[in-house]
Amino acid sequence: MRLSLKNVAVSEAWFNRLVTGAIALGFLALLATGLAAYHSVQENQYQSSRVNHTFRVERAIADFLATMERAEVGRRGYLLTGVAAHADTFYTARKQLFPALARIRDLTRDNPRQQANVARLVALTRSGLPFMEQSVALVRSGRRDEGVRLFRDSVGRRAITVLRAQATVMVNEEDRLLAIRDAATTGSIRLFYVTFAVAGTMLLLVGAGSIWVIMGYTRSLTASRDALRRLNADLEGAVRERTADLQRANEEIQRFAYIVSHDLRSPLVNVMGFTSELENAARTLHAMMDKVDAEAPQLADKDARTAINEDLPEAIRFIRTSTEKMDRLINAILRLSREGRRQITPEKLDMNAVFRGIGDSHRHQLDEKDIDFSVAAKLPGIVSDRLAIEQILGNLIENAIKYMSPGRRGRIEIRGRAEGQRAIFEIADNGRGVEQRDHERIFDLFRRSGVQDQPGEGIGLAHTRALAYRLGGTISIDSELGRGATFRINLPVAFVAEPET
Amino acid sequence: MNNHQPVNIIMIEDDEGHARLIEKNVRRAGISNDIRHFRDGTSALEYLHEAPDGPTHNGPALILLDLNLPDMSGTDILSRIKADGNPLKRTPVVVLTTTDDKIEIQRCYDLGCNVYITKPVNYESFADAIRQLGLFLSVIQVPDLPEAHG
Repeated sequence: MRLSLKNVAVSEAWFNRLVTGAIALGFLALLATGLAAYHSVQENQYQSSRVNHTFRVERAIADFLATMERAEVGRRGYLLTGVAAHADTFYTARKQLFPALARIRDLTRDNPRQQANVARLVALTRSGLPFMEQSVALVRSGRRDEGVRLFRDSVGRRAITVLRAQATVMVNEEDRLLAIRDAATTGSIRLFYVTFAVAGTMLLLVGAGSIWVIMGYTRSLTASRDALRRLNADLEGAVRERTADLQRANEEIQRFAYIVSHDLRSPLVNVMGFTSELENAARTLHAMMDKVDAEAPQLADKDARTAINEDLPEAIRFIRTSTEKMDRLINAILRLSREGRRQITPEKLDMNAVFRGIGDSHRHQLDEKDIDFSVAAKLPGIVSDRLAIEQILGNLIENAIKYMSPGRRGRIEIRGRAEGQRAIFEIADNGRGVEQRDHERIFDLFRRSGVQDQPGEGIGLAHTRALAYRLGGTISIDSELGRGATFRINLPVAFVAEPET
Repeated sequence: MNNHQPVNIIMIEDDEGHARLIEKNVRRAGISNDIRHFRDGTSALEYLHEAPDGPTHNGPALILLDLNLPDMSGTDILSRIKADGNPLKRTPVVVLTTTDDKIEIQRCYDLGCNVYITKPVNYESFADAIRQLGLFLSVIQVPDLPEAHG
């Protein structure tokens, strides 16, 4: 299960990166499209202004040509008819010629080629105009024939033709520019369309990809959520199963301890029994030795005397003390195992009364050692097994009495407080204390700490801890050597029996 | 007539040492009755019910029973002897064992055991308890034992 959850975590990072990337890509595409559109519009605007400009230039050229034609028409009419109105037409047009040229020059100031063309046009006009003016002046002064002759002279006529050709060159130049500008406009529009198409495709792809990824991710999320729900449902069952396993294991250990201690006892009965038989036999021998010593001392040698009077009793004494000790140890194991099998019967306990009761039952020892025993005013009440609680607390108080520090007045203080669903009781003394390194060890079976000047097998605290565990509690010590010890019992406010399997 | 028939002591005990200690103390108490020793439940039950010189067919008996036997539990033997219809139902049974578990003692008495003796490691009290058996024997010798006739 842990594996698939990890997969989800991995795909989550991957998914985040992918989505961020896709969104960035989409924005980039949009930006590119916008830029392309902006560029295209700018370009179009510019190009259309240039096209307008070209048209204006062409119109100016056409204006100039028309003016020139008008001047020529006026001249010719005057030359033919001599009517003054025609001369006026010529002069009016003539006056407009150079301003028209100036406008063309102004308009094409940005184009050196056209400037050169304009300069040529100006030069041509300048060179052609004097002939025209002269012919009109000749007619006006009455010399009409001279004027007509001058008109017929090819130079004047050619000037007009050349002017027309030059104007055409200029118009062509503008047409060429127009073509270039048209192409540029079309190009920019095409660029815009291409950009638009590419960005659009990209957006579509990103959109489709994102949808695909999101769907996949949602599927995996749904799957892991379902798995989690299944796991949750299984968890309770798993806990129940584990608890049952543990209980079975615990019962197995209890049974094992019981059987072992029983079977250990059986040979011990023999050892003790035959040791007694041996002792009887040794006593008989001893009596005989006494008799021999009294009646015929020469029969007994030194070795026999030592064996009967010293070695045998000594050996028997050691066997006896050892087996007695072994018996006590086996009994301790037996008691622990039996305690583990005892039925717990929870009842409401007034802890002040319980502690008072324990104090009373140890009153004699407390008074004898002059120990100040004080119980806090209001201890939290609990629901638990009376016998077990009394055994635990009695044991701790007995220890406190037993391991007082000689040379200072003994003091035992009982404190208690409730913390949520737990009740904590402290039995604090000012006795000889326990070294830091022995804080765990003292709770082990047959282990003791400090100077071994008190009777005991190292069973009490092991028994106490086993009982505390059975009640769903814990027990710990807080102590410094020579400064007293505080035993802390942490118990559930209400004992809850483990469900039987 | 039956009153003078000697009571046979049948000891069912797998531990050789225990058996020897029990016998020594029985003799030390001045009891000279016959002691038959069985190391397992099967052969003991067979002797009790089938043997021609066994208690079913021949005379009164006292059974000394250990609870921890290799082939069956002593309480099984006890419940069979004390079962309804068994000719040995009234034969006194003394349970002799290392167990001092209250529940087990209770169970033995419920099954009909007459005396329960714990084998203490303290030998003196053990020897004392065995010597008490002499008194017990003298008591069961007095009344007429109808089932002795089979």
